[in-house]
Amino acid sequence: MVKAKSIPREIGFALLVLLIVLFAIFPFLQMLSMSLKYQWDWGNPSLIPTQLNWGAYAELLNIGQEEKHVPESVKILLEESELTRQQKNDILAKYKDSSDVFPFLKYFRNSLALAVSAAALSVFLAIFGAYSFCRLRYKGRAVIQRGVLFVYMIGGILLLIPLYRIAVALGFLATPAGTYTVLLIIYLVQTLPVSLYMLGNFFRTIPYSIEEAALIEGVSRFGIIWRIVIPLAGSAIATVFIYAFMIAWNEYLFASVFLKGYKELYTLPIGLRSLFVSKNAIWDRIMAASMLTALPVMALFMAIQKNLTGGMSEGGVKG
Amino acid sequence: MSTKLNLQQRESVLGWGLIAPSVIIILSLILYPILTNIFSSFFKVSLMEPDTFIGLENYRNIVTDGSFWRAVLVTFVYVTGTTIGTTLVGLGVALVMNRKFPLRGFVRSLILLPYVAPVFSVVYAWKFFFDPVNGLFIDITVERLGLFDQRFNLIGNPESALWVAIIFSIWKNFPFTYLMLLSRLQAIDRNLYEAADVDGAGGWQKFRYITMPELYFVMGSIVLLRVIWNFNKFEDIYLLTDNVKVLSVYTYFKAFVGVAELGQGSALVILQFALLVGFILYYVKKVLKW
Amino acid sequence: MKRVFFIVLTAALVGIPLFANGGDEPEKSSGPVTIEFWTTETQSDRQATIQVLVDTFQIMNPDITVNVIPVDENDMATQINAAAAAGTLPALIEAATPNTVAFGSAGLLDRSAATEMIDEIGRDKFYSGVLKLNQTGAGDGFYSLPFHGWVQGIWYRNDWFEKAGLNPPETWEDILKAAKYFYDPAKNQYGILVGTMAEAYSEQCFTQFAMSNNAGLFDKNGNLIFNSPAMKETVEYYAELAKYNPPGPQTWRARDYYLQGKMAMFFYSTYIMDDLALAEVAAGSLTAENFAELAGSSFDPDLVKNTRMVPIISNKRPAGYGTIVSLAFPDTGDSAKTAAARKFVRYLYSPNAYITFLHMAPGGMNPVLKEIATNPRFQQDPKKIFENYGPEKMAEIINGLDSIETFGIVDGKRIDAASVIYSKQIIPQMIYKVTQEGMSVDEAMSWAEAEMKKIM
Repeated sequence: MVKAKSIPREIGFALLVLLIVLFAIFPFLQMLSMSLKYQWDWGNPSLIPTQLNWGAYAELLNIGQEEKHVPESVKILLEESELTRQQKNDILAKYKDSSDVFPFLKYFRNSLALAVSAAALSVFLAIFGAYSFCRLRYKGRAVIQRGVLFVYMIGGILLLIPLYRIAVALGFLATPAGTYTVLLIIYLVQTLPVSLYMLGNFFRTIPYSIEEAALIEGVSRFGIIWRIVIPLAGSAIATVFIYAFMIAWNEYLFASVFLKGYKELYTLPIGLRSLFVSKNAIWDRIMAASMLTALPVMALFMAIQKNLTGGMSEGGVKG
Repeated sequence: MSTKLNLQQRESVLGWGLIAPSVIIILSLILYPILTNIFSSFFKVSLMEPDTFIGLENYRNIVTDGSFWRAVLVTFVYVTGTTIGTTLVGLGVALVMNRKFPLRGFVRSLILLPYVAPVFSVVYAWKFFFDPVNGLFIDITVERLGLFDQRFNLIGNPESALWVAIIFSIWKNFPFTYLMLLSRLQAIDRNLYEAADVDGAGGWQKFRYITMPELYFVMGSIVLLRVIWNFNKFEDIYLLTDNVKVLSVYTYFKAFVGVAELGQGSALVILQFALLVGFILYYVKKVLKW
Repeated sequence: MKRVFFIVLTAALVGIPLFANGGDEPEKSSGPVTIEFWTTETQSDRQATIQVLVDTFQIMNPDITVNVIPVDENDMATQINAAAAAGTLPALIEAATPNTVAFGSAGLLDRSAATEMIDEIGRDKFYSGVLKLNQTGAGDGFYSLPFHGWVQGIWYRNDWFEKAGLNPPETWEDILKAAKYFYDPAKNQYGILVGTMAEAYSEQCFTQFAMSNNAGLFDKNGNLIFNSPAMKETVEYYAELAKYNPPGPQTWRARDYYLQGKMAMFFYSTYIMDDLALAEVAAGSLTAENFAELAGSSFDPDLVKNTRMVPIISNKRPAGYGTIVSLAFPDTGDSAKTAAARKFVRYLYSPNAYITFLHMAPGGMNPVLKEIATNPRFQQDPKKIFENYGPEKMAEIINGLDSIETFGIVDGKRIDAASVIYSKQIIPQMIYKVTQEGMSVDEAMSWAEAEMKKIM
């Protein structure tokens, strides 16, 4: 396939790749640029900042920040309240401690934990489910196979109130662990139908002859799934994982309603949003926060990709 | 599974056993909201007082509202445009990325960015880029190249907003399509191409007679999924332009802006659902030929 | 039956005991109470200050725990609706008055608690115009307690106006003249910013013009009189003005263009004092260093000095506009919680706590209690806004709160339907249709009228 190599074609191909990359990343260049500009530079259309401003990143990552300045009004308040010296100091210490504008690492950890567990569970359940309806024959299979996707078509926001109501009625929201579980299940439900569907489609393209051979050799169904199907469907599984991960990673509406009472569990989208709604000039910090949010995920996927797309083409379905 | 299960029965049990966890989870969470929605679509719902039964009143209100049908039309254009665009761009990129070239791993990760970055922040990057006063796009096209004679608000203007929303969606989602297609492309048996080379087939012929048939099924399902997703898409559209009234945005305004009208909203969701199901049934029959 | 089945199923699946949250527990007269306080002051520095107030309050009232939860103004309705449906309303919310009134008229609020609280503080201590905005439709009580407020006005480049020999933008005529004069898109410079997107900011700008033209939505008997010649005149004028906006639909975010010296006038609340002061601080800390580049950029270090504000616009009569932020007690059905919330509110209105709260955003948060406005501690704000703008200007602004006019108050009577029209954003949608989609004024107005009638 890679035989015809004329120089103009190579250049054309390189240009095409460049074009694709530019198309994909131009908003990120804008983001990067904005995050590094001073406020007085925002009216300047050029992507290159007149002068570099690392302040936004430093502030978000809490690097080299001076101790939080306590406003006069807070000092007077404490002075004039009937509190012991110790109590006043405690409150002041807490105030100073709250200087994290955007507790990036905490939000990041929360989002990562939620997204990884939702995606892993979704993939795990979907592998067995999809295998079930594309390889095993039983009554009701067709209904489930199609029904799963139809159920998914009910649109977004109106699910919110019934789900919230049921979660409260069952007492899930009374504890952080319960809240976390509910959210996890919601993301699971949002991703499972598609995971099932995509994996099912992919499994069907794996020649059944390989499995038959294994069955004859006495390998169990689980053994087949584990040793044949999963390795062969590696890249499809990775794609499904990425899909499920991104749903949970980016979700705002449900998270904002369900997690409202637990600041400790806030995810990145909620954090970004709360950074955004402060009405002061904050574009540099928002853009910096966005960059910080996107970069680790990209690194994560780079790692996943390296491991998965490689094995696929060689491991081959030639058999 | 004690003794007398024959092969077929065992398969049946295993099949149900494997699918059951997924089905239970999905049903337990989706069925209740769907039933409540159907139920409350026949009521005038208020949060603190008992609901009043009003029959088909909610539906009548919607169907007689001209802006509802406009929203249906806009949704149709949006879904068609984004689905075709995303699939074509995804296919093109997948074909390119299937070839070996230096830095391929890096490039592959780079072009995942649109898909992995939070919608919330990329929306603002787009807005900055196309800002009529300070944006780079206008600066280049109007000030430097003189392609247009005056500054304009590409994202905001009602005439262009829908198209920007479509391009934005293509930009945001093509990496997913590309990933799916690439994983299929890599599974195609190389021998097929080698055999075609021997027969003296050209690049286009190989694409047409080997690649396309292999991709057809995956493409069909990607298109199906994209239609479903984009039909209900809300955040991507609303955050970017808020003047592209597709059905989900229309529902949001009807049901959630100000005092919630949950009955009306439920009826809308049911109608939306019915429209989508109708379309899908048609698609499955005519295009996928199931 | 099905419902029960799935509930049990879900519970069994996740292994969480049913009935963990009883909901209607018997009323407790004493003992520890935890309440939720939803506030729209979502900024992190404001959150920290509110936490100090809460901590101080908790030490003085060891039985009460106040859980502060930031909720974005735009999410408030969704969150309240979800909470009401699930029976988890917070005991106290702080939100813009149009919102609290809308919640109140939907029956979500405990109005007797609010009314009693106002009487306890003393009705005559509040500015009367401000109180009126919180009144129930029947006039027999209040939905919520006014807490603080901002005034809107036209902010303009005094230096440009002086150089051009133009009058300050106080009348319809002068505003339009100046907008035309400074509109120069070829130089990337624009005359004015008025809201043209379908959202609250557009309604805020528009209301002030409508009021100054005696154009209302209702007469004092609550009849819809939207489609009047005066209203039509206002819409036409507004559409004309919007031609001198930056391109496309615009909202308050375009105020950045003003800070960049690309716009002559814009509508904004007094919160900009805070924002402009910030810009100044930023410039001040940077000019000391190697800042030759600053000269070439569009940023003007003297911006604050060259900016003036007109809070009152006149045509047929003078009119001001602003928004009050109020405290409200949602109906939790738990009297212990309401009692605790009332205790906390009482504390928030004590001068010490109140001034601390207001000083979170000087200029933006103005007192609704008369005695606080003249309190010397209040006038010594941390960002020196009083010093910069002078006590007279500040008095004018704070007094402006008392004369805030909205479509919902006609001859001192509150019309509840107006708040629903507000929350459904009908007027902003009409403005959008006229200014962006090129719909004729008559057509857009009859569309809006039809929508309003549907609501009523």
